Amino acid sequence: MFTKIWKRENIFWLVIILLVLFRYFSSLPSYKTGQKLRITSKVLVEPIQYDDSQYIKLVGIRFYLPKYPEVNYGDNVIVEGIIEDGKLKNPVLINLEENTGIIYKVRKKLVLFYHRALPEPHASLVSGLVLGSKANIPTEFWDQLISTGTVHVVVASGMNVTLVAGFLLTMTILILPRQKAVILALVGIWIYALLSGFDAPIIRAAIMGSLAFSAQALGRVNLAWRALFLSALLMLLVNPSWITDLGFILSFVATASLMLFEAKIRKLVYFVPAIFREGLSTSLAAQIGVTPILLLTFGRYSFISPFVNALVLWTVAPITVIGMTAGIVSIITMPIGKLILFLTYPLTSWFIWIVNLF
Amino acid sequence: METKWKYSYAFLALFAMVVWLAVYYYPKDKLKLIACDVGQGDAILAIYGKTQFLIDGGPNDKVLDCLSSHMPFWDRNIEVVILTHPDKDHFSGLIEIFKRYEVDYFIANSLEPGSQGYQVLKKVVGGSDAVVIPPKEGMVIGNSMMHLEIVFPTQTFQKENLTFNTNVNDSKVLGTSTTSKSANNFSIVTILESGDFKALLTGDIVPGITDEIIDTGRIGKVDYIKVPHHGSKNGLTEDLLKKANPEIAVISVGKNQWGHPHKEILNLLAEYNVKILRTDELGDIVVTDESEINKE
Repeated sequence: MFTKIWKRENIFWLVIILLVLFRYFSSLPSYKTGQKLRITSKVLVEPIQYDDSQYIKLVGIRFYLPKYPEVNYGDNVIVEGIIEDGKLKNPVLINLEENTGIIYKVRKKLVLFYHRALPEPHASLVSGLVLGSKANIPTEFWDQLISTGTVHVVVASGMNVTLVAGFLLTMTILILPRQKAVILALVGIWIYALLSGFDAPIIRAAIMGSLAFSAQALGRVNLAWRALFLSALLMLLVNPSWITDLGFILSFVATASLMLFEAKIRKLVYFVPAIFREGLSTSLAAQIGVTPILLLTFGRYSFISPFVNALVLWTVAPITVIGMTAGIVSIITMPIGKLILFLTYPLTSWFIWIVNLF
Repeated sequence: METKWKYSYAFLALFAMVVWLAVYYYPKDKLKLIACDVGQGDAILAIYGKTQFLIDGGPNDKVLDCLSSHMPFWDRNIEVVILTHPDKDHFSGLIEIFKRYEVDYFIANSLEPGSQGYQVLKKVVGGSDAVVIPPKEGMVIGNSMMHLEIVFPTQTFQKENLTFNTNVNDSKVLGTSTTSKSANNFSIVTILESGDFKALLTGDIVPGITDEIIDTGRIGKVDYIKVPHHGSKNGLTEDLLKKANPEIAVISVGKNQWGHPHKEILNLLAEYNVKILRTDELGDIVVTDESEINKE
């Protein structure tokens, strides 16, 4: 009986891996340098705004457009250009259709609210933490985040999804029976994933979170590793090009390292004050897997990163929760939302001050 | 129960800290004139207490950093914004300003430059609550502690050199006129006055209109001059310098292809013993009414 179940599960994994391989080889891009291309697509990666231009990634092809008209996450665009080494040369924006879907509207509204209520770089930090919006981060602050190894908190990160999922579940469980609360939390996770830009790390966290919650609701526990592999395979099945996406790779490697090492490291750093302990142990654990990849791809690595992370990571949860509450309140009444948002100011000040220091 | 108390204490501590920070950053009743380091362009911020005037927005979003570091975090209102003339290195930063701040009054020329960025600016200004005011020589805006007097362009100069679009009769709409001259000729020139302190802010005026500006009779001795046109020799003239006779000359300049500031202008200022302060060397240049100068 036991062996039979074990075997059945093996067949399941085998089939799904074969499917992924098939998808991967059948969907390899076939663009050649010099080929003229017209892309009609929805913008699924948030464009990055520069002084004179904006950087856009569409179906795996990167290009720069003039700063105006501004392209936003979720918009439908038609672009023409000539392929050169996977980039689009002389791209021309043929058509831009603003996305008027409710989720995209809410996202835009929230980002605008943060920008109107707080000065920079506080506003960008909050909208980065809450919504993974990195489009308008001041260049200087962005460079500081990169050099201190803290940029992962403001770009779309799985951490936020896990945080929001936990927060939603705690809230809904207060008013609903457990199973209904889980269903509501699941819906919440996916709305949040859509709201914060459908990047690989976010989807990874959303799938894993959903699997973990459903497992809990169904009374099965300890599915973490299976959830990790299953979400990776499911994602590759849908979008095989993610296999080369750095965010995708880092997200999975970091999560795996966390699961392997975090508990042990936390015991080792028992002498660190409680407020910084979890930040230090999680970032040290994640570093074990992530460091070689970062060294290989960027050729440099910030060795102060675990310490800076330890000093700032404890602010992430309260900033996200306060920022989100303020955002939701601001949709109903702006002035009260603003007042709530001011509560993040001491926390963002600390974050910015520490990042500045190093 | 215990966690409930923990969260309540954390909330109270945060609340107290916000109050302390708000008080700590409460602005002093004192003039602060800041030439923001925005690279090759202009963005000048005048602050007195809770009142701010912003003259131009620079070529990029760097002006936001300048406002963030010199305004208290809870003040999201700018009383007056002036766009001296619709060139990219003066208006681009204003787009984000109008998106993020509440602006009471916007003083700008009716000139339409036709650039795509300016269409975006017109749209955000239109969508804001800002009142658009066309410049008029002699107009004074501000309060008893700090005010701006508009010196140029005069009504006659605008009438003679601008062609108005006859379809639009509302002077409060932006971009209603065109010209064959460069936009620099229409730069809004102002004198900022607070107590005994006077500053002449010149936009990108060119030598050809210096006489017109002096002829208004409004230029007298000042403490501070914003050197026109980023220190180009196609800017400041000896006549204007003599008339204004400043102690300090601020040049708002960054990396550029034209060699600004030109040697001729630096020599001219040195000849008249005017102290030169450059944003490309000093960053944000902060001047207060006691003429103490801080580098930041």
